[in-house]
Amino acid sequence: MKKILIANRGEIAVRIARACREMGVSPVAVYSECDRTALHVRYADEAYPIGPSAPRDSYLRIDAILDAARRSGADAVHPGYGFLAENETFAAAVRDAGLVFIGPSPEAIALMGSKTAARAAATRAGVAVVPGTEGPLSPAITEPELTSTAQAIGYPLLVKAVSGGGGKGMRTVTNLRDLAAGVAAARSEAGSAFGDPAVYLERCLIRPRHIEVQLLADEHGTLVPFVERECSIQRRHQKVVEETPSLAVGPPLRAAITSAASAVARAAGYTNAGTIEFLLDEDGRFYFLEMNTRLQVEHPITEMVTGLDLVRWQVRIARGERLDFDPAQAMIPRGHALECRIYAEDPDHNFLPSPGRIQQLRAPSGPGVRDDSGAAAGLDVPIFYDPMISKLACWAEDRASVVARMRRALDEYVVTGIKTTVPFFRWLLAQPEFVEGRFHTTYLDEVLAARAGRSFVEPDGDAEDIAVIGAALQSMLSSGVSRSSAQGAAVDGAALRWKARARADALRR
Amino acid sequence: MQYEIEVDGRLRQVVVHRVGDGFAVEVDGRRWQVDLARVDSHTLSLITGVVPPNGDTGDATPASDSSRRPGVGPLVSPRPGGPSREVIVSSGTDGRLVVRVGATAFSVALNGRRRTDEMVAGTDGPQRIVAPMPGKIVRVLVGVGDAVHARQALIVVEAMKMENELRAARDGTVAGIHVKEGVSVEAGAPLIDIL
Repeated sequence: MKKILIANRGEIAVRIARACREMGVSPVAVYSECDRTALHVRYADEAYPIGPSAPRDSYLRIDAILDAARRSGADAVHPGYGFLAENETFAAAVRDAGLVFIGPSPEAIALMGSKTAARAAATRAGVAVVPGTEGPLSPAITEPELTSTAQAIGYPLLVKAVSGGGGKGMRTVTNLRDLAAGVAAARSEAGSAFGDPAVYLERCLIRPRHIEVQLLADEHGTLVPFVERECSIQRRHQKVVEETPSLAVGPPLRAAITSAASAVARAAGYTNAGTIEFLLDEDGRFYFLEMNTRLQVEHPITEMVTGLDLVRWQVRIARGERLDFDPAQAMIPRGHALECRIYAEDPDHNFLPSPGRIQQLRAPSGPGVRDDSGAAAGLDVPIFYDPMISKLACWAEDRASVVARMRRALDEYVVTGIKTTVPFFRWLLAQPEFVEGRFHTTYLDEVLAARAGRSFVEPDGDAEDIAVIGAALQSMLSSGVSRSSAQGAAVDGAALRWKARARADALRR
Repeated sequence: MQYEIEVDGRLRQVVVHRVGDGFAVEVDGRRWQVDLARVDSHTLSLITGVVPPNGDTGDATPASDSSRRPGVGPLVSPRPGGPSREVIVSSGTDGRLVVRVGATAFSVALNGRRRTDEMVAGTDGPQRIVAPMPGKIVRVLVGVGDAVHARQALIVVEAMKMENELRAARDGTVAGIHVKEGVSVEAGAPLIDIL
């Protein structure tokens, strides 16, 4: 494998390109019209345009992506997450074009990609599933039929897209009155997001935690499960904070849930990287939720506590190599890791997207900090794609230390020109429920509703006075008043001191 | 130099004097001593001290030659040392500035420019719901003449692959609807008027 085409954009395309470079493989980018100057294009060895900005005209165009692969001479394709990552037609088309698809087989994607088929597969593997409809709702289902189906499952229930992900195409329905509207809304969103309006119903567990198991499987029958991740901090069913290990999982539960995950993956004939998601109820019972047949957004935290590079292993598995590390390394976490998904959204205005041009950007760094970003100063956050601009992940020896480290890293994060969710995370990480690990998948929606839109920014004593002083001084400097003295003197003084020091050093030699 | 600076609807009076290498700044009568370094065209590093009432440190005399010798010189130097704050100034919407102090951002306007943010409606008067970003109108949830209550969802705009509900800021009656379902709108486009 000499050249890998990355069929994605943003931070994940940069992440994969970095792995390629470290492995001596040449990364090839594809880009839509609005992404011409994006970081993933600038970071790649080669880049090919694949069409207009709307996803269906570019990043979802199988023909355009395969054409770019052919022109570049790439021998493999990495799909990243989102876009075509869980599209079995794409995986098959890559294979039929004589290229290696870095991911599972099209058959495994098809089986696990349909949420209803995946639930059936889990049941066959002896793993409990959340009670719900066995198949998708008929598009022609009548109101009385829908009512009785929902009654049999019980309220509250979830309407979920059969081909879904990322919390889109999903609605919570708490009573019969909202049922028809919930189904219609989920169908509409699923149709526009995934091209498939099919939905099914599932019982809504009370205060469950979201626990998931990362897996790697090679083509020689070896399958390795990883220590669990917890992703219970969600807003409108979208994960916003992930951590590993989970405070709710001890060694016995870890053994049970990872062996259940392995059983489901084996039943599906799964290879490469994948993740099995479970809901854990208050009594410690867990239920299969779904399988993601791709690299997860939150994979960095698993890498941080295990020391294993998941993208590198994806490539090695696709090359036919064997998983030859000690499985205990994947299962026994070293320290604790936490990730915050930084979005271009305005938390003080109901998290509305905040697209626009990034004026300045300074990412945090230092011990235990990893910022996987596709953003850069001078770049626009386009309106066409998911508004996540970066994943900020931290590692430390224990959970209390990693929470402190994440707070420190968030304080260092500077993004101007657009609004981001950084102030929201600074608030969240100060909440006692978060600090003590007392949360579940609806915790965040409940506390946000109770706050009723109150601002997340609580300035400390003098900050506003300092802001006013800064604005006045900046205005004075920019308008040229005393520029020669204040700014010029400082710069010239520094330059003179450097020269003097250099001369002194030269004389000593 | 004298400035009138508006933050969060409040007007602050600022007077800046140069003193030696630094600045003496009065904010609504409170005096600050500021050592300023410009890091780049948007970034200032301030080392500040508040001057106590009746204090004369703001008028510190320029350092004499003797003060440069170690252990000799006035107790209060024009570069006093103290709280270190980084300030990043970037342009915001409507000609306002976004001023970041540490991890907190403030929206400010220089010399009396007033805030005109239609998203943040006051307690009375008509409100106009505008598109906060470019997108497509998915659903209009109200009709002209409907009574609406505070935080009621009015319209659904799809942008960045998500459906976003825009809500009423307070109780009122729908007076006008400027868009139809399915149309694309630019940021700032008027959508719904409420009286």
